[in-house]
Amino acid sequence: MTAQADITMILRNLKFALNSAWQSFWRNLAVSLAAVLSITLILILAGINLLVGHAFAQVLDGFRTKVSEISINVSDDTPLQTVYDFQAQLAADPRVVTVTFVTKDEALREFKSDPQNAILATQIEGNPLDAKLDVRVKNLNDVAAIDAMGRQWSGVDPTDPTNYQGDFVNRMLDLSEWLAIAGVALLIVLMIVSVVIVMNTIRTAVYHRRKEIEVMKLVGATEWFVRGPFVLEGIMTGLIAAAIALALLAVAYEPAVVQFKSDVGFIPLSYDPAFISSLARDLLIAGALLGAVGSYIGVRRYVRI
Amino acid sequence: MALREGVGLLGGIGYTARDLATRARRRVTPQQETQLMVLTPDFDTRPVISFQHVHKTYPTGTEALRDVNLEVPQGDFLFLVGPSGAGKSTLVRLLIREEKPTRGKIFVDGIELGRMKRRKLPHYRRKVGLVFQDFKLLPNLTVYENVAFAMRVLGEPDHKVKARVAEALDTVSLSGKEQTYPANLSGGEQQRVAIARALVHAPRFIIADEPTGNLDPATAWEIMQLFLRINARGATVVMATHNREIVDLLRRRVIAIDAGQIARDDRSGRYHDDLAKPQVRAQ
Ligand SMILES: Nc1ncnc2c1ncn2[C@@H]1O[C@H](COP(=O)(O)OP(=O)(O)OP(=O)(O)O)[C@@H](O)[C@H]1O
Ligand SMILES: [Mg+2]
Repeated sequence: MTAQADITMILRNLKFALNSAWQSFWRNLAVSLAAVLSITLILILAGINLLVGHAFAQVLDGFRTKVSEISINVSDDTPLQTVYDFQAQLAADPRVVTVTFVTKDEALREFKSDPQNAILATQIEGNPLDAKLDVRVKNLNDVAAIDAMGRQWSGVDPTDPTNYQGDFVNRMLDLSEWLAIAGVALLIVLMIVSVVIVMNTIRTAVYHRRKEIEVMKLVGATEWFVRGPFVLEGIMTGLIAAAIALALLAVAYEPAVVQFKSDVGFIPLSYDPAFISSLARDLLIAGALLGAVGSYIGVRRYVRI
Repeated sequence: MALREGVGLLGGIGYTARDLATRARRRVTPQQETQLMVLTPDFDTRPVISFQHVHKTYPTGTEALRDVNLEVPQGDFLFLVGPSGAGKSTLVRLLIREEKPTRGKIFVDGIELGRMKRRKLPHYRRKVGLVFQDFKLLPNLTVYENVAFAMRVLGEPDHKVKARVAEALDTVSLSGKEQTYPANLSGGEQQRVAIARALVHAPRFIIADEPTGNLDPATAWEIMQLFLRINARGATVVMATHNREIVDLLRRRVIAIDAGQIARDDRSGRYHDDLAKPQVRAQ
């Protein structure tokens, strides 16, 4: 019974706080709108950051599947049984997805079928190509280890062991890491700026309601009761800003991707509607959280009894 | 008949000035008068407020109170008097825990205020009704909302708020003004709204800092009648005031503070002690 009474009291207090927050938002409309707009801009920047990050991840994913395949060239004098043994050994390795044996004939056919090699193919005499084991590795980070295994294998062609380009892969991995760090750093800066904006907005609201706060304290309101409306106002500001930012980003996303593709066609970027929902979740949560934190800090000093 | 009862009652509280008594009686309805007759102050020897060697020095270095010792029994009616800057408001601020004593202890209802957790403070404030010289009403709320505010803040349900606000407004004779805004009320009416707000959660203590400071003598007297009635219902009243006439008429307990120290504590005192010093009285 008391638990139920507590809940109805909490609901009543929540209603009071919502009312109060809504009134305060409209009473200081100019300040509230300025805050909403600033935070909208910041969230748009954050959203663009997320979208670019996502696009980069998409491109990187495409690239990853390419570089996570290596070919181990087999020297011509290797007995077939040795090749099969090594293929079986690789296939049993948990890091490996598939291993395909490509014979010299198949390799030549494959080479000739590529239109890029058309001129070269007419000049080939006999079969200079090695037979090879095409290995698809699950994780990009393990490609180097598999490459090392291939190079140590007795049947490998010592003049041209594998097609692995370690440096290039490592550089791509480094770049993606740096980009991720830069993205996170930018997000943190944006978040701090918006927290400060909310903080100052709420200070203005507190200033306007200082008499009310004084009376609340004198008649025995708890600190959370005094704080509640302001924190809700902050959350409201953040959520409205997030909604606007999200709407603008959602509208602009597809045209931007199309434009980008027509400008820089070779990068495998595509419109991903599923990402919009995860972006929506992120922006709304970020907006609410920023609003809550900013307003809590903004009001903290003033509601201490 | 009602008139004779009124005289008897006022005589009982040590009231002597005939003209003011008549004026006051006119404002008491017969129903309120019976209330006054039935509810007698419930005195208790155990002090509900106790100051023990209390010192207060503000961060600025001002020594506002020095070694104040004070005991107030349940149901007492107490005036704090003294020249401007003597420390009356400081004592009030200590009592409602707006300030903490620099040294010494203050007990209210057995709780030491200086040691009370911040978390507990709201609950303490709910036991206390506060009235100030400047009313502290919210201008954007109606009379009803101003009084209801003190209950809403406590998360009370609507039906309870309604009943108690109506009761409180009736006590201060403001029924009918519910939808008026403070700006459209006289000073006395505004102070009555503030008193209704202080009363609405049935506090055990009423603490008032110059509640009649902004009011003309007749209105001030009217407000004093309200405090007397609240006291008669059992609330302990502590009031800082400069109103010499009222203090001298009522002959209640008077504590005179001078330069931060208790100069005098009379069971049934006057505003000034020393009648031989007319220049002091002239203040
Ligand atoms: N917040 C404060 N900070 C510093 N000094 C203060 C503060 N409040 C009051 N004082 C000083 O403390 C002394 C007592 O002030 P207090 O307000 O208690 O006097 P008072 O008796 O209420 O005077 P009055 O009759 O004018 O209201 C004064 O010297 C005053 O200047
Ligand atoms: Mg004062």
